[in-house]
Amino acid sequence: MSSIKEKFNQISPSEFFYSNRDLAGFSNPTRSLYTAVREFVENALDACDQKGILPDVHLTIKAVDTEKPDPKPYILTVKDNGPGIDAEHIPLAFGTVLYGSKFGLKQARGMFGLGATMAILYGQITTNKPVTVKSSVDGVTQHMFELLLDIQKNKPVIVQHTTKEVSKKGLTVSICLEGDYSKAGNKIRDYVYETSLITPYASITFDDPKGQKFSHPRFVKEIPPPPTIIRPHPHGIDVERIRRMIVESQFEIPTIDDAMIEKVRKDLGLSAKNLSFTAIMDKAKKKWKTLPRQVRVVIALMSFLKMDFEKLMKIRIEDIDMSNKTLSYWDFGDSQSKSVDMDPESPYYKQLTNTVQGEPLTTFLTKRFQRIGPTTAVKFAEFAKFKPEKRMGTLTNQELVQLSDSLQKFDDFMAPDSSCLAPLGEEPLEKGIKKFFNPDFTAVVQRPPSAYSGFPFIIEMGIAYGGDIKSGGPHVYRYANRIPLLYDEGSDVVLKVVNDTDWGRYKVKGDPPFIIVSHICSTRIPYKTAGKENVADRQEIERELRLALQFLSRKLAAYMSKRGQADMAKKRANLYAKYIPLIAQFCTELAGKKKEPNYQKILDDNAVESKQPIEEEKEIENN
Amino acid sequence: MKTTKEQKKINARSKKADEKQKNILEMLKSHGAKIYDDLDNGQFPKFSIPSRSVSNIVYDKKLRQYILGNNAAVRSSRNSAQLRSFTQLMWLAFFANRLTHEKKSSTLRDVYYSSQAFAIEFEDQSESDNIIVDLEAVTSKPREDFHIFPEERSSIFGDLNIEYTIPGYEGKTMNLSNHPDGYSIGPSLTTAELVDTSAEIVIAIEKGGLFTRFVEEQIDKKFKSIIINTGGQAPRSTRTLLKRLHDEMNLPVIVLTDGDVYGEHIAMVIKSGSANAAHLRELTVPDAKWVGVWATDIEKYKLPTIPMTESDIKRCYDLQKDPRYQDGIWKKELDVFLRLKRKAELEAFSKYGLTNITEKYLPQKLELAKSL
Repeated sequence: MSSIKEKFNQISPSEFFYSNRDLAGFSNPTRSLYTAVREFVENALDACDQKGILPDVHLTIKAVDTEKPDPKPYILTVKDNGPGIDAEHIPLAFGTVLYGSKFGLKQARGMFGLGATMAILYGQITTNKPVTVKSSVDGVTQHMFELLLDIQKNKPVIVQHTTKEVSKKGLTVSICLEGDYSKAGNKIRDYVYETSLITPYASITFDDPKGQKFSHPRFVKEIPPPPTIIRPHPHGIDVERIRRMIVESQFEIPTIDDAMIEKVRKDLGLSAKNLSFTAIMDKAKKKWKTLPRQVRVVIALMSFLKMDFEKLMKIRIEDIDMSNKTLSYWDFGDSQSKSVDMDPESPYYKQLTNTVQGEPLTTFLTKRFQRIGPTTAVKFAEFAKFKPEKRMGTLTNQELVQLSDSLQKFDDFMAPDSSCLAPLGEEPLEKGIKKFFNPDFTAVVQRPPSAYSGFPFIIEMGIAYGGDIKSGGPHVYRYANRIPLLYDEGSDVVLKVVNDTDWGRYKVKGDPPFIIVSHICSTRIPYKTAGKENVADRQEIERELRLALQFLSRKLAAYMSKRGQADMAKKRANLYAKYIPLIAQFCTELAGKKKEPNYQKILDDNAVESKQPIEEEKEIENN
Repeated sequence: MKTTKEQKKINARSKKADEKQKNILEMLKSHGAKIYDDLDNGQFPKFSIPSRSVSNIVYDKKLRQYILGNNAAVRSSRNSAQLRSFTQLMWLAFFANRLTHEKKSSTLRDVYYSSQAFAIEFEDQSESDNIIVDLEAVTSKPREDFHIFPEERSSIFGDLNIEYTIPGYEGKTMNLSNHPDGYSIGPSLTTAELVDTSAEIVIAIEKGGLFTRFVEEQIDKKFKSIIINTGGQAPRSTRTLLKRLHDEMNLPVIVLTDGDVYGEHIAMVIKSGSANAAHLRELTVPDAKWVGVWATDIEKYKLPTIPMTESDIKRCYDLQKDPRYQDGIWKKELDVFLRLKRKAELEAFSKYGLTNITEKYLPQKLELAKSL
């Protein structure tokens, strides 16, 4: 038997990420610099998208000491024209891990704004320099913070806080971190380039450490419609999520202090003078419909306690035991605990039950989930073997698991709502492809919404051929929620679908100059790894990708066959121009004529695309 | 001094050669005129070429040779895949026309190089050779008629008077027994008129060595014969000459080859042509007789032998499928070769003395030939 006592310590989220930073893409100076760029640029774009602002994002990377060899410290600055962050939230938002604003269910580039804090944390541990945040929410005053993270306590340390006057709204974040630009440079430039393709309404500039400027001005003036925040779909939920939703749906018994009593008095429209218990109850009955929930709960409690305001001020509620129908309280005057029985027939009893035990199952389903009506809710209750009026607060652990399982298995829920998605749209996508590649042929498609495991998704895809595209295609540009995916291409579902395609069937041969742009939009992209670079091959997603690619490939095939015909006609015309005069020359002498035949007509007829079908050499029967 | 009668004969012969040339030129002209008119009318010219694919080569029992069937392919100048070969063929007709006009001869290799002066590129000689066969097929005339001759030379020796028709030699005569190395069968001999001969038979022999021995041993005189060295597989000009000797001078033709399957087939090609030349007639001597060396001779004359190679044996099996090897001595000897799996050369008779072949073997065979 071991006598060593294990020592259990709680670690803060900051500490956890500090020791597992490679999980979030901060494994080495090359990857870290790239990931940091991504996190800040994506936060800036998300912030602008949410407020419907056409984004202007400026990215700057500067070496602290240009002479030093890589890897070395760099200063990374991202400036946007977004809404900014209120000064009071800045220390927590940038100096705490797991503090964020993106917890609603809708499509966004980042999930929780977690990555930016990770980048700050990485910068701090490699260079020991604070993060600088400048923010203006009103376009008048700008707050500047210099912050350090207290890793053990997961708390911000404000090094400096100043304000100054400015003329523009927006946020600027600047960190110092160890990086390797000589290795990461290519990926970062690709990232900026590809981001501007999928974000045509954004203007993005990049000043790199070597003094080069990359500018990608916006070429679409309208922001695609923003996504709406929606309630979850029952298929995309688990036990833990249900537990949290139940907690949210239950109400706390309000603390009955002087301020609360004053509020009740005011809402009942009572003057300062003392009223009897019965008078209060009469007044409450009359005004019941207009009363806020908290006030109703206080009134309900008073009805069982049979106290007026005077007495109410001298007690504290201890417990509301619905199963024993008793209400216990501490009496400050007598300095002892007392209890009263509650009459279940009283209309106030129901008010308290709702507050303490939560909503009935059917109400919970219709109010907390998307696209469930009362009929479906009752049908589901039957399917899951629950009483429709079962109170959510009374579910045992076992019942919770049973409920969660049934939610997954019940097939009669409607498909997930896709209004939470924000695809780019066919027109801007096509515009982007045309501007970037100047191709001879372009086709784009947006598939109708679909869903996997309760998460809605939409596939957008574009295909282009010829023009400025370099040969050796298909070159695949992968996007997920408007983020370009640059690493781990090999294991991605999009690549799988592209590689499965027999391009010969679509008349694409040899070393073709063509590209495929694939954009997956979803409330949750099923990434294979935490690094968020490759999408797992979920059957439903693979199917939609396949359909999109097939649709576009057929269009490409039609184009290629037209192009092939035009090429052939041109080739043929050249051959005619070369050989027909020779034939004329030879037959003139053979026929013993002086003047050559007028063959120009043939050449003229065939100078343009030949309309007559090509006569193939074929065996013909003679008699 | 030539007699008037002889002069008349010469004139008649010369007229005959002119006639032939005129026909060729007329034919080429009519082909050219058709193409000329097509072009002038804004039409893509095209013509039909008998198909030379294996499936279209059939054996004609009546003609006793391979001929082309009825399948033909259209070669059109509209079809970009055929335009190049169409132009090449037109050039060749144009070139042959010039050769015939100017009575100049050329070789297959000449044709290949001549094309380069006209921006007609042939990838290699086999491509130009192929176009020459196309012209033969379209016109049903052998290339020799267009003054295109093969490189290989075989030779002839014996009492035969000929009269040249080529430019510069018209009317000149020659007796082919004046030079003991024999006369090479080239363009001038092929186009010469055959005047007269004292010979009663033509002996075609496969090998140059034996040809020389036959001349030395005066086989021409002893057996009143014209001796021809085929130099292996007989060239087409030699086969033409054999045919003319048979048809015009009424001479029987016998063939003497090595005692192996290739020798047997050399005799067969002289007799009934090859599949390669199925588009042409008048290259065969259907009455020609193969007299040896037979497989049965190997045992009968106890000839020294060498074993057959893999390819010899394969060739035997191939020929067994040929319709011409289905009966008679052709089938019988082939079967014996396959049984023996050994072969003997003409020189094998030297084991019994250098003149054994001329003194013993040949007389027996000539005798036998009469009964074949």
